[in-house]
Amino acid sequence: MKRIFENLKVAFKSLNSNKLRAFLTMLGIIIGVGSVVAVISIGAGAEALITQNLQSMGTNVITISPGRAEPRGEGGPMRHLEDANTETIDEGELHLEDAIALQAKATLLNEVVPVLYGRNSTISYMSWSGQVSVTGTTQDFLTVQGYKMAEGNFITESDVSNLSNVAVIGNTVAEDYFGKINPVGEIIKINGKNFVISGLLQTIGTAGFGSDPDNSIYIPITTAQNKLYGTDTVDSIIAKLKNENQLDESTAEVKSILRIQHRIMPGENNDFSVSSPTQFLETASSVLQILSITLGGIAAISLLVGGIGIMNIMFVSVTERTREIGIRKSLGAKNRDILMQFLTESIILSLLGGLLGIGFAYLISWLVKTFSGLSPLITATPIILALSFSTAIGLIFGIFPAMRAARLNPIESLRYE
Amino acid sequence: MEEKVIEIKNISKVYKIENFKVNALNGINLNVTKGEYVAIMGPSGSGKSTLMNIIGCLDTPTKGTYTLDSQDISKLNDNRLAEIRNKKVGFVFQTFNLLSRYSAIDNIELPLIYSKGRLPKPRREMIMDVIISVGLKGREKHRPSQMSGGERQRVAIARALINSPSIILADEPTGNLDSRTGEEIMAIFEDLNLRGSTIFLVTHELDIARHTDRILYLRDGIITGEEKIKKPISAKDTLKNMPTLEDRISKLEENKNYEKDI
Repeated sequence: MKRIFENLKVAFKSLNSNKLRAFLTMLGIIIGVGSVVAVISIGAGAEALITQNLQSMGTNVITISPGRAEPRGEGGPMRHLEDANTETIDEGELHLEDAIALQAKATLLNEVVPVLYGRNSTISYMSWSGQVSVTGTTQDFLTVQGYKMAEGNFITESDVSNLSNVAVIGNTVAEDYFGKINPVGEIIKINGKNFVISGLLQTIGTAGFGSDPDNSIYIPITTAQNKLYGTDTVDSIIAKLKNENQLDESTAEVKSILRIQHRIMPGENNDFSVSSPTQFLETASSVLQILSITLGGIAAISLLVGGIGIMNIMFVSVTERTREIGIRKSLGAKNRDILMQFLTESIILSLLGGLLGIGFAYLISWLVKTFSGLSPLITATPIILALSFSTAIGLIFGIFPAMRAARLNPIESLRYE
Repeated sequence: MEEKVIEIKNISKVYKIENFKVNALNGINLNVTKGEYVAIMGPSGSGKSTLMNIIGCLDTPTKGTYTLDSQDISKLNDNRLAEIRNKKVGFVFQTFNLLSRYSAIDNIELPLIYSKGRLPKPRREMIMDVIISVGLKGREKHRPSQMSGGERQRVAIARALINSPSIILADEPTGNLDSRTGEEIMAIFEDLNLRGSTIFLVTHELDIARHTDRILYLRDGIITGEEKIKKPISAKDTLKNMPTLEDRISKLEENKNYEKDI
């Protein structure tokens, strides 16, 4: 114990007398540890954000898309990616009738909502105009997405059947075009056609993907298809499950109904696909993990380089202090004492570098948070990992210089100039 | 019977430099009794340094036996030698060999750091004792760079004394000092010897060697002669009669004035 304390004292004294060199030596470790911890934390933060967003979309919702290869649940997310690349993609379309059939026949689904997704359209109100994403949908969209009305009413069933020119606007649109005026009842033009604003949505918050739901306008899907975009297809069908634990059963039911609806023969591939946020979550997480590991691995190489830097400086230090080693040996220091002295010094160098590196990681995280809105998640695991890794580096790269120091011949060392 | 501190029987040392064999020592016999003050003299290449390294337990002889404090040193391993150096040998070098980043106190403390077992007294007390005995009180916080050569050598002597060694080994201790400071250092050795320390001095200056009780002459790795000094020079007395630096400068100036006058 006394020896450890003496060694620490000696190590700090020698680092203190060469502050700039010590700092430059540590820089490799600082950058290494800092970037490893930062990369892992940013990855963890991104994963948390995605999870949060997908959960807000609801885990009890499935999405049916046209013409995609069937993802296979059992294979896991990576399997899903491979399948997407290797299987032939069958052409296919979804129509309003598919949604009606599902609503009528499916026993495991609550609301079924067809959606014609965000087409950018020109809207104008009085003298202002601009581009906003317009989504065509039905009355149940509100329930399925979990959105809430701030003012007025959402699209109604009769709006859909009558092809009414009504629009429900998101909060950002309202702020941009109406400011403090209540927009309900006002008339706006979408692609030159008049629409009456029937309602205003509460702020939803960014969902992270695709279009911003607050900066969107929602109109009856029939109106969108026939009056604005001239199409009879829908982009996707969203359905809410009666029981979120019956994901597989519900998916199977949807498939069998749609196969009949699309007249697909047994043995033929589906011309649509069914996916759920849970599946997407798994895929996204695994992609992020691979990314984190790859980037972290690259960052770890700089740790290795930092370790080599420590070894280099320790060799220089041993040569420079040959005489000191001789003096210490003549006064009774054993080889072990000298070994421990230099080893302590290199471990302190790398441990201190590791600690500063964690500070550096916090700085990077703060910068990322400030400038991107993504808040990195710094957990104990990467910190402990980085610290033990940097200590190990000090030990591994310090041992050779320390051994050289310990083996020096006292007589020759005393003569060294 | 007098107690023998150093007992060297027929030791030789052979160095191998590439394929050449160099005989540094060729059968040295030497005894030093407790409380003795011995000098060894010889030209460079005489084997002085090798003998000194062996006596200081930095090296072991190729042949022969060396007994220090009735312990055979000749066949000990590095670790045991380090322990002996720590406990029984106090080195004083020509170039002081102090650690430049360390204060006087920290330099003097070094041998204690490497000591096994409990210390007889608290560290601070031990250090202050030796600081007082070499006359360095008030300078203990200074670093070597802030000290004069004489003060540095005093720190080195204090460091040599800290573990109460069986023998003090001084290798040209006055070599880097002006004659008055050198004499002051010799006075410290004289004092230590009077108080019972065994001192082994290596020098090539006869004036310095004559401060001891006995001079051994070394040449080509053998002891060629031995001289007992009946009346050693007393450094203290010399100092009394020695003009100080200021005296000498004023004398020089007087001479100049005198020359001008003529």
